[in-house]
Amino acid sequence: MSGQIVEVNRRNVQVLETGSGHPLLYLHGFADVHSVKENWLPFHERLAGHARVIAPAHPGCAQTDENKDIDTVEDVVFHYLEVLDALKLTQFDLVGSCVGGWIAAELGVRHPEKIRKLILIGAAGLFVQGALIGDVFMNAQPEYGSSYASLREMLFASANQPNALDMFPDGKGELEDEVRRYQMLRFGSRIGFKPPYFYNHSLRNRLHRITIPALVIWGEHDHMVPLSHGETYARSMPQAQSVRVIPKSGHSVHVENPDVTAQVVLDFLAS
Amino acid sequence: MQPVQLFCWHFMAYPYLDRDFDQTHDTGWVTVPNSLWDNNKARGLYQEYIDQLAYADELDFDGMVLNEHHQNIYGLMPSPNMIAAALTQRSTRGKIVVLGNLLPLHMNPLRVAEEYAMLDQMSNGRLIAGFAPGGGPETFNYDVPSANTREKFWEAADLIVRSWSEDGPFAHEGRYFPLRYVNPWPKPLQKPYPPIWIPGSRSPSTLTEVAKRGYCYFLSSRSHGGETHRAQQEFAAVLEKHGDKYHPFRFGILMSTYVAETDQQAREECEEGVWYFLKNCLKGHLRREGRQLTYGPGVPYIPAAAWREYLKGYQPGRKLLGDVENWEELDASQSIIVGSPETVTRRIKSLIEKAKAGNLLIQFQFGNMPNHLARKSMKLFAEKVAPALRHESLAQFTKEYPGLNLEQPTEAIH
Repeated sequence: MSGQIVEVNRRNVQVLETGSGHPLLYLHGFADVHSVKENWLPFHERLAGHARVIAPAHPGCAQTDENKDIDTVEDVVFHYLEVLDALKLTQFDLVGSCVGGWIAAELGVRHPEKIRKLILIGAAGLFVQGALIGDVFMNAQPEYGSSYASLREMLFASANQPNALDMFPDGKGELEDEVRRYQMLRFGSRIGFKPPYFYNHSLRNRLHRITIPALVIWGEHDHMVPLSHGETYARSMPQAQSVRVIPKSGHSVHVENPDVTAQVVLDFLAS
Repeated sequence: MQPVQLFCWHFMAYPYLDRDFDQTHDTGWVTVPNSLWDNNKARGLYQEYIDQLAYADELDFDGMVLNEHHQNIYGLMPSPNMIAAALTQRSTRGKIVVLGNLLPLHMNPLRVAEEYAMLDQMSNGRLIAGFAPGGGPETFNYDVPSANTREKFWEAADLIVRSWSEDGPFAHEGRYFPLRYVNPWPKPLQKPYPPIWIPGSRSPSTLTEVAKRGYCYFLSSRSHGGETHRAQQEFAAVLEKHGDKYHPFRFGILMSTYVAETDQQAREECEEGVWYFLKNCLKGHLRREGRQLTYGPGVPYIPAAAWREYLKGYQPGRKLLGDVENWEELDASQSIIVGSPETVTRRIKSLIEKAKAGNLLIQFQFGNMPNHLARKSMKLFAEKVAPALRHESLAQFTKEYPGLNLEQPTEAIH
């Protein structure tokens, strides 16, 4: 097992940490550390050259204990407040991708004072009329008994690019990767099925509280969370710049274009 | 002692799909477009199906079985309780088995307690109450979160049974369905409450929960190789562990049959309906073609540790029942037993001998099988197969389970 186990309110939380500098809390999405891979991805390693990167696994993911009391994203936010207490993190940069981005935004509207700068990457969490977030659960059911092409198509710019095939191969992948993928879907099903899918109707009207510098990064070809969600985030947070769209990338920009995405993040943090 | 109980199960498929449905549509479930519904053809369909079930009662089957499915062509019973209500007025003898209401889909389990109690009163105590958690398709149909499905299911099931066996009003201080006033009117007629059946597919946790409560376990598998026998043994072992004893009427299996005058005639008459059922109705459910919704990482209702165990034996792309390519493969699956009365008697008898199942839930109508053929098969079964099965199973059960007294209801063990 990588990283350390931190006890939080009598539950174990797996936390990876690398690099040094100002603390940067990273909350993972579906194609990510903890949800597929045991260890850091190149994107995180780039960030670690300039920051102390801390990545806890969500409840029920990787080696973090499952928490049956989680019904809504609110419960997840409270869990992370406890994690922050346990890690003694009072001021940090916050980066979240996909579902992790949703959790980051929910933390931001409640405790903007804890966050120095906020970065949302392909973040779920918003309801945007006419632009439903894609159904990751149905796409996680294989076609023809073994194909995950439509899941890859949802999470990446295209189904057959190497990084997509590496993270979500057809058939049966490496056992522990498969288990981590399953755990992430199981965690997602707790907060992402009701209301469908992965949004909190109240969030948009609370985003005005995020008065800290904020950056929204989106893949040009995001097939899971439509770009209009990114534009809504950017519009609703008073200090946010307009959305940085990364070309030739899908939903998982930090996997598909790690250098460019990391550079955008680092430039923003340094600015 | 009693002989094997023979039930007639109707799924109520939509039988009017075009011949090329399998080539033109990737699923028969959830997203299969309902523009395919044709009122010109479907008028009277429910009447035809209800008549078949009423006919089973006339033919002296031990009961009629219904179940709940949504947004699909496999089973047109989003509310089996409505069909059950009709059957209370169209039948007089057989049990009415609703297998079952999908509890996590209901906002309030009290509604199930009330409707089942009504059905028990309306049928003069003939209800067998089934509870099921719902499979993958229902996760999508009703946006039921998967991770807590089982917890919700057992809380609802226990609340319903308590509302039948304990006088109200009482408060239910539950995690998922808190209710301040539980006090259903009417109460069921059967005491302490109707027999309860729970379907499962050999998951140890379901076997244990069913055994703890003294309910009947129904194996939902459609194929009957060695797994059926293993399920029976596993259930018997779990019962022993809980200080209880297995007997055949605590176990039920789903099987399908078609009976005609000769083996050859049987196959010729049922083949179109069987292939319609396998290729269309099972598409999205028990086929690898298209997208299978019933089981998989997108409906993560079992804990991660159980998923890891499952993965160890998982073969990607393996054939499911609906993927059989020819009659011989279908025959080997022991899912649909087709033949003359002699053939069918012999094969089902052997199944009962091995599986020690006291409840056979039998599907007679498949896919687009015409009414007259389904009824002919039911009649031949009732007249030429059932008597022998009853006779031989009585001898078998008497020998294997001496001293079994079915008059005394099994006390629930908590």
